[in-house]
Amino acid sequence: MVLAERSNDVRNGKRSRGPSPNGHGSPDSSSEDENAVVPFAAEKIRVGRDYQAVCPELEPVEQRKPDQISDRALLVWSPTADISDTKLDEYITTAKEKYGYNGEQALGMLFWHKHDLSRASMDLANFTPFPDEWTVEDKVLFEQAFQFHGKSFHRIRQMLPDKSIASLVKYYYSWKKTRARTSLMDVVSDGRNATASGTAKKDSPGASEPGGSDKDSDNDEKKWIYHRGIVRGSKPTTAGGPSRRAGQAEGDGGEAGKWCTVCGILCTQTTQHNSQKLCQACLVHARRTGSMRPLCGPSGRRGPGFKQVRYKHRLPRGIYINHDDLVAMATGPQPGDAAQPGLVNQGEAMLKAMDREIISYKRQVQQNKQQLSAIKRKVGDLGVEEYRPGEPPAKINSRWTNEELLMAVTAVRKYGKDFQAIAETLGTKTEAHVRTFFVSYRRRYNLDAVLREHEADRGNANHIQPGTTSTEAAENNDESNANGSSSSPKSTASKDEKTEVDSEGVSIGASAEQGGAPTTPPKQKTAK
Amino acid sequence: MAMQPHSKKRVCYYYDSDIGNYYYGQGHPMKPHRIRMTHNLLLNYGLYRKMEIYRPHKATADEMTKFHSDDYIRFLRSIRPDNMSEYNKQMQRFNVGEDCPVFDGLYEFCQLSAGGSVAAAVKLNKQASEICINWGGGLHHAKKSEASGFCYVNDIVLGILELLKYHQRVLYIDIDVHHGDGVEEAFYTTDRVMTVSFHKYGEYFPGTGDLRDIGAGKGKYYAVNIPLRDGMDDESYESIFVPIISKVMETFQPSAVVLQCGADSLTGDRLGCFNLTVRGHGRCVELVKRFGLPFLLVGGGGYTIRNVSRCWTYETSVALGVEIANELPYNDYFEYFGPDFKLHISPSNMSNQNTTEYLDKIKNRLFENLRMLPHAPGVQVQAIPEDAVNDESDDEDKIDKDERLPQSEKDKRITGDGELSDSEDEGEGGRRDNRSYRAPQRKRPRLDKDNAKDDIKTEENKEDVKNITNMEEPKKDLPPNA
Repeated sequence: MVLAERSNDVRNGKRSRGPSPNGHGSPDSSSEDENAVVPFAAEKIRVGRDYQAVCPELEPVEQRKPDQISDRALLVWSPTADISDTKLDEYITTAKEKYGYNGEQALGMLFWHKHDLSRASMDLANFTPFPDEWTVEDKVLFEQAFQFHGKSFHRIRQMLPDKSIASLVKYYYSWKKTRARTSLMDVVSDGRNATASGTAKKDSPGASEPGGSDKDSDNDEKKWIYHRGIVRGSKPTTAGGPSRRAGQAEGDGGEAGKWCTVCGILCTQTTQHNSQKLCQACLVHARRTGSMRPLCGPSGRRGPGFKQVRYKHRLPRGIYINHDDLVAMATGPQPGDAAQPGLVNQGEAMLKAMDREIISYKRQVQQNKQQLSAIKRKVGDLGVEEYRPGEPPAKINSRWTNEELLMAVTAVRKYGKDFQAIAETLGTKTEAHVRTFFVSYRRRYNLDAVLREHEADRGNANHIQPGTTSTEAAENNDESNANGSSSSPKSTASKDEKTEVDSEGVSIGASAEQGGAPTTPPKQKTAK
Repeated sequence: MAMQPHSKKRVCYYYDSDIGNYYYGQGHPMKPHRIRMTHNLLLNYGLYRKMEIYRPHKATADEMTKFHSDDYIRFLRSIRPDNMSEYNKQMQRFNVGEDCPVFDGLYEFCQLSAGGSVAAAVKLNKQASEICINWGGGLHHAKKSEASGFCYVNDIVLGILELLKYHQRVLYIDIDVHHGDGVEEAFYTTDRVMTVSFHKYGEYFPGTGDLRDIGAGKGKYYAVNIPLRDGMDDESYESIFVPIISKVMETFQPSAVVLQCGADSLTGDRLGCFNLTVRGHGRCVELVKRFGLPFLLVGGGGYTIRNVSRCWTYETSVALGVEIANELPYNDYFEYFGPDFKLHISPSNMSNQNTTEYLDKIKNRLFENLRMLPHAPGVQVQAIPEDAVNDESDDEDKIDKDERLPQSEKDKRITGDGELSDSEDEGEGGRRDNRSYRAPQRKRPRLDKDNAKDDIKTEENKEDVKNITNMEEPKKDLPPNA
């Protein structure tokens, strides 16, 4: 097709030289490429056999055999309604943290077992996910190569010939994000080094927040094997046994002796020295110099429930250094050494385990945030109205304002101990509130005197039993009402009182000069 | 068309864990890694477990040549970074080199992307799923024998071709910031696929997607282009998306929908210039989903990868009808999402150059086009109101309307005359015009522009000149020889 080809050439000329979506936008960039060619000048859709797709015929319904078409894809997971979300979450968490699976692998295992959770859980241990094929040497090499070649993975590959480009790209993307990670620990240790009192220059680089979920540690004691360096400072006894080295079971908290009393470092071996329990380093120092090692780093940890001593340069809260870990880190095979088969680099393993734990905490943090926002949203959607008490009770408030106090005193003057009447008059208090008010402010406002005035007003105080002071009556009244037995004789007495108050209520109300004069006459009580 | 409520559907998701390992080259904005980021994010959101997850087979050359030419696919299969020099001529011919570089594993990448979309289409055909997702697909610029705009193999076209075996009419919607030219071109002359593309137009890649490009031959009126300007925000987008898609659904009556979810229309995209948020972008998915048709979701552009994965994760949740928290779960690439670690993003303060008047005008114009569609069988034919017929006075009305625009707007629309001359195919497909519509339609696809210049068409062109001045993007910076 001659014509079509001609136009094709033209287009290709334009297209290939015109800038990409990449270079759009700024006018200057458009003129960079070829002066003669204007980018994206009204291109047109081309028509012809060379451009259009040939649509297949619609298959008549009766000829369709959808079951026989292959899926052209492999099903690796299908959802199930049989397993609850929480169960599934638990399973995934276990697979992740205990066996190092990723979420996809864990679900793959479950799917393979036809969604049988218990069988899948059991089978988890039988498989090991591919270990990270990137050794420390590889990583160091990659970083060097990256500094040199940038993102030219072909060139990087020349330095790492056993890696595929795909593997390099994958590693690059997961490495990239951690490159800028600066640890708080680094900052702290920098500061310490500057003040140069450092025996503990080598910090264990793990960082962990104290007081994370207990669930993790309970479920999963295995990982704590490597985690002797990290102790949940806030609740060491619930942390599920922070430290355990093979064969040397070391209780948490209870064995305060395992904490060096000078430097506060956790270690397996302490020696008694001048009434102090010292770690090896402190002991050597003490023996040599006769004085205690100057403190730095983790503040003295003195067993469970320790009181943290404030030091100028100390580790973030909840982070401690385990002396043994430091030793392990320092003496273990170095990245530079030839990898010795069979010998596990303990330090590295420790760091990895710590990394895993950090991740698990981060996951937890995000989950918590999600839950919080879900709750917030729920509240937001429904509005707070639901949680707001209805209109009349909305005013009820147990706090007494000055005005209310004044009103209450006036009301006592008026109604005596008819607390319900007082409460109704106030409108913002319950009967119980008024009762409490009466008891607690009796002395301060000399309520007894007020009460006497009230009775004097009424002219007859014969309702108060002779020999019983008014205050006692009030107390008794309180008690009996609290017990819900309103039929006790004393309360009957007070009910009688009320009746009388009611009968005089209006005139007294009129004589009250207080601004908050009762607007609603007290409810009529049926006299007994 | 009955709208279905926001509902839970059976969703199938296609992903190959290798896809993130392909690398276009240093400095290239297209990063397949974003697909892995999306995958990881939705895994950690717990969306993964709610879908059927498929690992697609690699598409075979046979499958790909259902659309692409044999020699193009053969070329893609054989080219490697280390033998590029032997293919100089072909690289030129197939437009492989700069935008579309030769990279390690190029062919496999195309196979995975195409394989996913084809498998997804098959799944929909089997009615074994209501919604299928392939974020690795959506490479809408690829042409029959030409790579373009980071796209080599057009997985969308292949997927639609598969759907056409079981569906009389398939609707394609494209919300990438770039025009979906590859798909539009592939189906430019058929009435079985309607392509609807919302895109930035005017001095912007790929340069196609004019309002007046409406298809050709049998496919006339079956290509719908919505040219937009910088700064589209959620509100404006929805204000044009909703009426157009509703109208298209009503008149075209598709039995399956393909939505290309290019995420470069999001705010802050490295290449895009729109101002959509994840929510606004996902709203389109939600709206299309409501029609309850077999639904294929594919990826596409998107060059600020943290936002791309946010967006596609959110859209996966929309497809599933599941609400997800704004706080991102911890995931393998958590650090990419700092400093806020939230799912949703805020729009920027860029100005929206799409005025309501402009959008209304486009909308009205497109409605007129859609009225020209023969109504789908079974649809009640509505009487076309008198004023819908496009006669001279109608055009004059439009011009009058423009007179009321602010001077600054008018200034932007001044167009050099030379600019308009190469709109080669507007003859056949050019304008919905009373006369041309009544005239017997050409069944033969137009091959070149010269054929088109019969008398009536020339007259139309003149009309177009008038309209272009109103509708087109600012062109004053262009040299006259454009």
